[in-house]
Amino acid sequence: MNLNKENKLNGKDLINIGIYSAIYCVLVFVAAMLGCIPIFMPLLSVIIPLFGGIPYMLFLTKVKKFGMILIMTILIEIMMLLTGMGYFPLLIGFFAGLGAELVYKSGKYQNLFKGIISHGVFSIWVLGNYVLLCLNPDSYFATRQNLGEEYINALKGYTPMWIFPVLLVVCMVFGIVGGYLGKALLKKHFRKAGIA
Amino acid sequence: MNEKKRKLYIDPRTKLLLLVTIAMFVMGGIGGSRMLPCTIVLCFIPLFLLLIQREWKNSIIYVLLYGLGCGMQIMLIPIAEGILGMLLLTVCVVVTRILPGVMMGRYVIRTTKVSEFVAGMEKMHVTNKITIPLSVLFRFFPTIIEEYSAINDAMKMRDIRLGGKKALQMLEYRLIPMITCSVKIGEELSAAALTRGLGAPVKRTNICKIGFGVTDYCIFTICMIIYVFWITGFV
Repeated sequence: MNLNKENKLNGKDLINIGIYSAIYCVLVFVAAMLGCIPIFMPLLSVIIPLFGGIPYMLFLTKVKKFGMILIMTILIEIMMLLTGMGYFPLLIGFFAGLGAELVYKSGKYQNLFKGIISHGVFSIWVLGNYVLLCLNPDSYFATRQNLGEEYINALKGYTPMWIFPVLLVVCMVFGIVGGYLGKALLKKHFRKAGIA
Repeated sequence: MNEKKRKLYIDPRTKLLLLVTIAMFVMGGIGGSRMLPCTIVLCFIPLFLLLIQREWKNSIIYVLLYGLGCGMQIMLIPIAEGILGMLLLTVCVVVTRILPGVMMGRYVIRTTKVSEFVAGMEKMHVTNKITIPLSVLFRFFPTIIEEYSAINDAMKMRDIRLGGKKALQMLEYRLIPMITCSVKIGEELSAAALTRGLGAPVKRTNICKIGFGVTDYCIFTICMIIYVFWITGFV
């Protein structure tokens, strides 16, 4: 990253990234618990972007420099790695974060509408958790063998091969919806509380 | 976490390697049923570490829960049927999968000081831009959970809960205060860190002495054997 002096990330920015990533991760973990029920597995790509929008939009009010969104995505992916999602999310997450960063940067880190779109792009990281499931189902289910035939069959029924591009679109659309939700709550609560 | 209580010193880098390995093979189940012996070995490591820390109660809970989960699975797989059987089986699997990782994570967070972690990351030449947010992240999880349970209590008192009168506001009334609280605490935290010179443009020094010992090499060998075994599976 080529940064000139005044655009350099300082300690306060880095701490902010840590805090908002922590809030985001807690939300994701709560949502991911629902993944134990087969029907909720694909639905996670709706739930996570929807609620993730709230901390994300608040986070954007603190973002003024290049790299903050990217670092946040990398942190979230490290947490995913530590909770056993494998290494694919890191790859997809990196590009999703970079994309989100560039979108928000094009609005000079001030445009709220660009921020909402940026959340749509950012939400693609959720897909990383499905890569194995969709592209190589046999090996994925081999790792889930002890969940029992019924869970596997149920999950297989909900996740055919063609669902991958569908999930991509779903993630983006609900990312944008989540962005709007976040923006509304920003207006309703956080501005008043003086933290946005 | 004073010096007297620490029975065995493990380098933060080793702890991180263990955490990732357990996450990949036990929680993620990479490699499938072929890796089963390795997963069993990995499941014993947190127990071993807990015993060294003399956390008797937690070790017993760990053994009981894990044994129960495994036993239930073996008993249930042939006879589980219908939605109830599926749910039970899922609970067992989740317990046996997540528990070792949770115990390991708990051990790591309990025994690693933030400055040790930072020192370890520095030795691995990880940039400050990752290290600082990451250490804030780990430091922050317990705080958020604490705040959340307090908010939860308050909302229960106002009858804002699942199945209560105001079920719709359930989420909003919990998420928003949680986020607000966390942000406020975070601001204080960052002010405190800045006073201690986090934002200063000089290179920070660290008084923590970290280094590899015999235990570290043992753990490294175990992990390497597991990785090699995993890679040979592809050939």
